[in-house]
Amino acid sequence: MTLSTMSSSLATNAWDALWFRENGSAYAGEYNSIYYFIFWASAAFFVVLMVLMVWFMLRYKRRPGVAAEVSASHNTPLEIAWSVIPAIGFAIMFFWGTWAYLPKAVVPEGAETINVTAQQWQWKFEYPNGATSLQTEWISDMEQPLFAIPAGRPVKFLLSSTDVIHSFYIPEFRIKRDCFPNRYTVCWAEAKEPTHWFDPADGLAKPYDKNDDGKFTDGEQGYYLYCAEYCGDQHSQMTHRIAVLAEPDYQAWLEKQNNTDGVPLLDLGAKLYKTGGCAACHSVQPGGVGTGPSWHGIWGTARPGYQPLNADENAGAVVDEQYIRTSIIEPQSYYAPGFQGVQMSQYAGVFTDRELRAIATYIQSLSDDPAAVEKAKQKSDAEAAAQAASDAGAAEGAADESDPEVPAEPGA
Amino acid sequence: MSDHHAHYLAGKGSTGKTIMSWVWTYDHKKIGVMYLVAVLMMFFLGGLAALGVRAELFEPHYTEFVNDDGQVVADTKGYKGAGSDFVVPEGTTPEQRGVMFPNITVTTVETNPDTGERTEGTKTVTGNNIYNRAFTLHGTIMVFLFIIPAVPAALGNIFLPIMLGAKDVAFPKLNLWSWYIYLFGGMFAIFALIQGGVETGWTFYTPYSSTTEWGNVTAMVLAAFILGFSSIFTGMNFIVTVHKLRVPGMGWFDMPLFIWALYATSIIQVLATPVLGITLLMVVFERTFLIGIFDPALGGDAVLFQHFFWFYSHPAVYIMILPGFGIISEIIAVHCRKRIFGYRAIAFSSIAIAAISFLVWAHHMFTSQSPVANVVFSALTFLVAIPTAIKVFNWISTMYKSSIAWTTPMLYACFFLFCFTIGGLTGPPLATLAVDIHLHDTYFVVAHFHYVMMGGTVLAFVGGLHHWWPKFTGKVYNETWATVGGWIVFLGFNLTFFIQFFLGTQGMPRRYATYPTDIPAFEIMHKISTVGSWLLLLGFLIHLFVFLHSLLAGKKAARNPWGGLTLEWETETPPLEHNFEREPVMTHGPYDYDTARPVNADPALFPMPTDTPKAH
Repeated sequence: MTLSTMSSSLATNAWDALWFRENGSAYAGEYNSIYYFIFWASAAFFVVLMVLMVWFMLRYKRRPGVAAEVSASHNTPLEIAWSVIPAIGFAIMFFWGTWAYLPKAVVPEGAETINVTAQQWQWKFEYPNGATSLQTEWISDMEQPLFAIPAGRPVKFLLSSTDVIHSFYIPEFRIKRDCFPNRYTVCWAEAKEPTHWFDPADGLAKPYDKNDDGKFTDGEQGYYLYCAEYCGDQHSQMTHRIAVLAEPDYQAWLEKQNNTDGVPLLDLGAKLYKTGGCAACHSVQPGGVGTGPSWHGIWGTARPGYQPLNADENAGAVVDEQYIRTSIIEPQSYYAPGFQGVQMSQYAGVFTDRELRAIATYIQSLSDDPAAVEKAKQKSDAEAAAQAASDAGAAEGAADESDPEVPAEPGA
Repeated sequence: MSDHHAHYLAGKGSTGKTIMSWVWTYDHKKIGVMYLVAVLMMFFLGGLAALGVRAELFEPHYTEFVNDDGQVVADTKGYKGAGSDFVVPEGTTPEQRGVMFPNITVTTVETNPDTGERTEGTKTVTGNNIYNRAFTLHGTIMVFLFIIPAVPAALGNIFLPIMLGAKDVAFPKLNLWSWYIYLFGGMFAIFALIQGGVETGWTFYTPYSSTTEWGNVTAMVLAAFILGFSSIFTGMNFIVTVHKLRVPGMGWFDMPLFIWALYATSIIQVLATPVLGITLLMVVFERTFLIGIFDPALGGDAVLFQHFFWFYSHPAVYIMILPGFGIISEIIAVHCRKRIFGYRAIAFSSIAIAAISFLVWAHHMFTSQSPVANVVFSALTFLVAIPTAIKVFNWISTMYKSSIAWTTPMLYACFFLFCFTIGGLTGPPLATLAVDIHLHDTYFVVAHFHYVMMGGTVLAFVGGLHHWWPKFTGKVYNETWATVGGWIVFLGFNLTFFIQFFLGTQGMPRRYATYPTDIPAFEIMHKISTVGSWLLLLGFLIHLFVFLHSLLAGKKAARNPWGGLTLEWETETPPLEHNFEREPVMTHGPYDYDTARPVNADPALFPMPTDTPKAH
């Protein structure tokens, strides 16, 4: 950001920036009122105290040879007053704050339930139809999945974690709830207005240009989902986009995410890399850095196994489809040199067979060996062709698949 | 020359003897001075880590896409969501930018347990990881090695016995033990640091702390465990000293308020610290022996740790701030030459705060526990705010119709009142459930506790250091430069932290190494905050030079430069080895400025009200 755009946005938004962000949910307004009540009451209190302090400092500055007047060092009515008045103020804050909070702790009937899984260091939304998001966006220095939610009706977030404690935080909805391993927690929100629309042309949710000026300023590109409980290395990159869609758009977007059959293996693998949690730790650049090894050029390389109970088993492997499959489902079976002891979350049951193959194909395509890359492309193209043939020839029953297909039903 | 009549800083004839007289000293003042040097070093070390944290946040991370020729083709700084025309150009390599801490590659050596064969490899430590270590280092050092011992173990050790008219603390050998245990615990912490540091945050939340593969957590946790003993020993010593060693004639309500504050602090130290100790040991057991206590994967409960941890660490907040309250009571009374307003209210509110502080721990867990528990702890939290508010009213009332000397300690007392009042008033939004849900774990909390801990305790500590500096060093410091340093610290502090309240209401989570590039408010506010941190550094460096100059070239200080009435001003400057020539006699209360003339001070400088009745 250049200094000039910074200063212009400072001028226009300075006052707004001092308060809460846009109020995106049906009940956030009352929370704002409580905060502003406390804020202005405190501000008034502060000003009175500081004016007194500065006035006393100036008025009673020591003069040489002059002693202080004798004055009371105790005044019971005054002391009772300044104990009771703050107590009353605190009582108002407590009752108002609790009154507003408690009903919001209970999820309304009939809310759309989205399973949210937190892991180091990515969020995953699983929608009622079993779909997960395949759309991504660049945030800070990461390409992260975007999650859509419907506008105008309550959405329940069923939260859990696969590793350490995370916290689900969307500032515009004023919600925050910790996510624990081995335990469910819930929170809910009812988004007021859509921030995005669904573009059927490319199947993406896109932000509304509210000012219609061709620019997307702060607050026009939807909301952020943050992790608010420190969870390790890339805690600060657990920042994802929340897009609020009108109901028909939401349904269309959901359907689009659900249907991965038509996505060629290579493209699907590349998408899953970004949305499935892989990108948080694995780079795809040569010599790329991360908590886990880069995927670039690993295809076909040797991997030692962890010390097995039975010495004949798991003595090691080379990176191939079977290896990748095992490493995703049981990450502790093998390790990459230099990454011994790194604990990767288990992904058993997270990906379908076709998705696992897609990821393996994608890794193959990142090989240094041109022949392997070519093979990955061929595999993807062949599968797409076979599928097209199968779709076309379904009526004739003449499809001949050398590579039997597992139906892609994410979450099945 | 008899030892008893030499002042405590006097040499012992030879360098070796002098050094040994410090190493094996039972003198509370020498132990206090050694503590003081150590905590100041820790303060600067923790401060350096904080400067690193602020530098990292000066701008957000972003990505540049570089083609084969090394040219930057695009970056994500202006990226505005899926609707914009931004596309990742083909054939480019993304590179991370905007980071203060770059990724570093370290060499690893792995040993095959079967063959003993060693293979070298490399492993990359991300810039984030280094940032995470920096803020953990800052938190751990500042909490366990600086702020908890800063006032009680350093200034408290030097002055508590003198203000009671005692020769020493009740258990001088235990006091020396406490110091060496602190040193030992500090070495563990430094060891963990040299080994590569810890990145769990100072709160060591499980299961992250019990499973993280970046090591040294065990060493750091043991350091905190050991430091806990040091804290407990000091607390026990002070409690017994206050009960048993008050000079004859000094009743409980004749004690200076600094003593009341240290007494309340000691009670918390003794009662709460063991809980932390055993909790940290459990983390060590979980890490080392895989005993499932907190890690759900081992059958433990992650929230249990938070309960145990905050059962200590919330009262610990009052271990940190109560001594600060005590210092402010002393400074305001002495420099205003005024009986403190509502002495008993201040004394009792210290005890009330100590008691209630044990009942509010779960307000750190509003987003992790049941809503019903939240209601209970929200109510209890508001209770603790009342005695705190009363103290502020009492201090400001004391200034009314007084005779205020514009000195560095008094300036710091005003800075304290300004910052601590902000810190206190930003507590209620966090205690209010509906609001806290939004503000929890954001920069609002960071700003709030820095206003309390730094704007409160640290400013009080620096004020107290100037207040008692002439007494315990025997040297005068340069008032002008101390004032300049004080103003720069005050401005730097507010520049750094005030804006963070608004970062918090805007939703910026804490402990983030970066933030979204498309929220301009975040970047501007972080820049302001970082510039403030540089001012803070400048201010504290000025103080450091003022103190060093005073030690090396300062004039000899008078025995009672401020005209104080508490007992430390009656003894020599610097105090004698056994504090007093003979046991002092109580002729007046600690704040009887209307009736008692300060001893060892020029009567012309400290006149009495003309209608003063004779001292009773």
